[in-house]
Amino acid sequence: MGKTLFEKIWDAHVVVEKESSPSLIYVDRHLVHEVTSPQAFDGLRMNNRIVRRPDLTIATMDHNVPTNDRSLPILDQTSAIQIKTLEKNCKDFGIKLFDINSPNQGIVHVIGPQLGITLPGSTIVCGDSHTSTHGAFGALAFGIGTSDVEHVLASQTIWLEKPEPFEIRVEGKRKKPHAVTAKDIILSIIKNIGTAGGTGTVIEYSGEGIADLSMEQRMTICNMSIEGGARAGLVAPDEKTFDYLRNRQYTPKNYESLVEYWREHLTTDKDAKFRKTFTLHIDNISPQVSWGTNPGMTCDVTDSVPSSEDYSNGDENQKKAADKALEYMNLKSGTPITEIKIDRVFIGSCTNARLEDLIEASRVIKGQKVSENVRAMVVPGSQMVKKQAEEMGIDKIFTKANFEWREAGCSMCLGMNPDILSPGERCASTSNRNFEGRQGTGGLTHLVSPVMAAAAALEGHFVDVRNLDLN
Amino acid sequence: MKGNVIKYERDNIDTDVIIPGQYLKIHDYNELASHAMEGLDPNFHTKVKEGDFILSGKNFGCGSSREHAPIALSHSGIKAVLALSFARIFYRNAVDGAFLLPIEIDENTYQRISEGDEINIDISSNEIKNITKNQTYPMKPFSEIIGKIIEAGGLFKYKPD
Repeated sequence: MGKTLFEKIWDAHVVVEKESSPSLIYVDRHLVHEVTSPQAFDGLRMNNRIVRRPDLTIATMDHNVPTNDRSLPILDQTSAIQIKTLEKNCKDFGIKLFDINSPNQGIVHVIGPQLGITLPGSTIVCGDSHTSTHGAFGALAFGIGTSDVEHVLASQTIWLEKPEPFEIRVEGKRKKPHAVTAKDIILSIIKNIGTAGGTGTVIEYSGEGIADLSMEQRMTICNMSIEGGARAGLVAPDEKTFDYLRNRQYTPKNYESLVEYWREHLTTDKDAKFRKTFTLHIDNISPQVSWGTNPGMTCDVTDSVPSSEDYSNGDENQKKAADKALEYMNLKSGTPITEIKIDRVFIGSCTNARLEDLIEASRVIKGQKVSENVRAMVVPGSQMVKKQAEEMGIDKIFTKANFEWREAGCSMCLGMNPDILSPGERCASTSNRNFEGRQGTGGLTHLVSPVMAAAAALEGHFVDVRNLDLN
Repeated sequence: MKGNVIKYERDNIDTDVIIPGQYLKIHDYNELASHAMEGLDPNFHTKVKEGDFILSGKNFGCGSSREHAPIALSHSGIKAVLALSFARIFYRNAVDGAFLLPIEIDENTYQRISEGDEINIDISSNEIKNITKNQTYPMKPFSEIIGKIIEAGGLFKYKPD
């Protein structure tokens, strides 16, 4: 029987495998950030261990860095300590660090691919659940907790029970691809399979709808695999993948011979078997807006806020969850999505803060102004994205429209740096989680694409971006 | 293991309500514990007692890979979470660090155990005894390897055969 791409990558990285036992898997790249690593380094010190492969370990700071002027000191003392701790740990253990002043600093899942550190067919781990992003390059990439971070630092390996392959086919062509984006595809998928639909699996995304996407759009898809319960999601590499990684700062010297190997080997065999399959047809999908408190609670921009009865389809637990979500979100069922007024707009995060995301959003706002009731910010995913955007004059489009143009970091995705919502503030956000309090205690998050967020910033409420002239 | 149940009758309890992002900078585990479940139940730290259990629905611990989530619960006194299902990273973190036991139960058990019930969990016989109601329920047995890691006291104490 043939093998799936995931199974081929798995087999190539098995160090120890035994019947009914987890396998020991070799890790090709370990990405490290300031929040989930300090206890792991403490553990190494306590046991007199060294980092097994510092040359395969790369660190940056992203989660708690302020996104305002980098020449100012960090006011939050606990953040400052966490950042200094990472600097010391990297120095002590010989790990390459892109620190707060490095031109390579940025969200770990944005800089990996940009620097050519993320490679097809490799295994990549990081103490962050959105590590699934790197799967867009045909890598097996997944998030781990701090105990596993310590294990990988010490041994460059990880014990894993083998997940099962889950095929998600995306068929058809989007109408108005500037308005209906990769974010709308992945939100539609999660709406259908549910937030635990992928538990215990590695998703392989395929089909015409995926092949048509750029690398940055594929990253948006793979990034949110975890919101569907799967620790990893991947896309078989193609010429777009190979072109993207060519001539990056850390692209391997023997790149062309690697590409030859990848072309031949990194595919799913025709007779391979998946444990399950889901197909999404995208010919007629609409821009998506989340209305609830998990990413599965999402609807079309043309819909109204559902009632808990409609959402739950007779499932009592689901109904209770929807009632609680509507109460938290302060929404009445039956309200058209386009009548929901917003206070804040956040364009950023490892889901949607790459150059292409910023270009697409800037097309919407060119020559216009943010609604006077809205505070809007753009946080580029990395200093490199920021610089490239500035060279193209995109920062000016945003700042002329009264958007704040900030320094790179995770920012308002997760409420652990100064960028947070106040209680009751409602935000159109390009991030990945609309959990209660995620963007700040009492904050109300609606997940949308960058173009949807940009249009909402101008109007002060959600609008169907298919009605805008974006060509 | 004997203790009382704190029941949250909902699915998808995520890591951001278990320990909100602003507390991920805290290194002191007891201080971290004082914010456990704050995103969902600000009174949690006043009602939780050493040895208590949490009972909840499907996909418990979904979201972030933050190990702070099982740590905060564990240092609040929680010895086990009983749920219809778990998100994988939370499950793994709970076991690897020997913070608490993630125990999968069925719908019937979920319905029959109430807030405040005193229960006894016996992982050698895979049984949950409800002392308050004098009932016995099954729990899903741990896989062989998970059982061994739990027995060893976490990933770093576990020595593969």
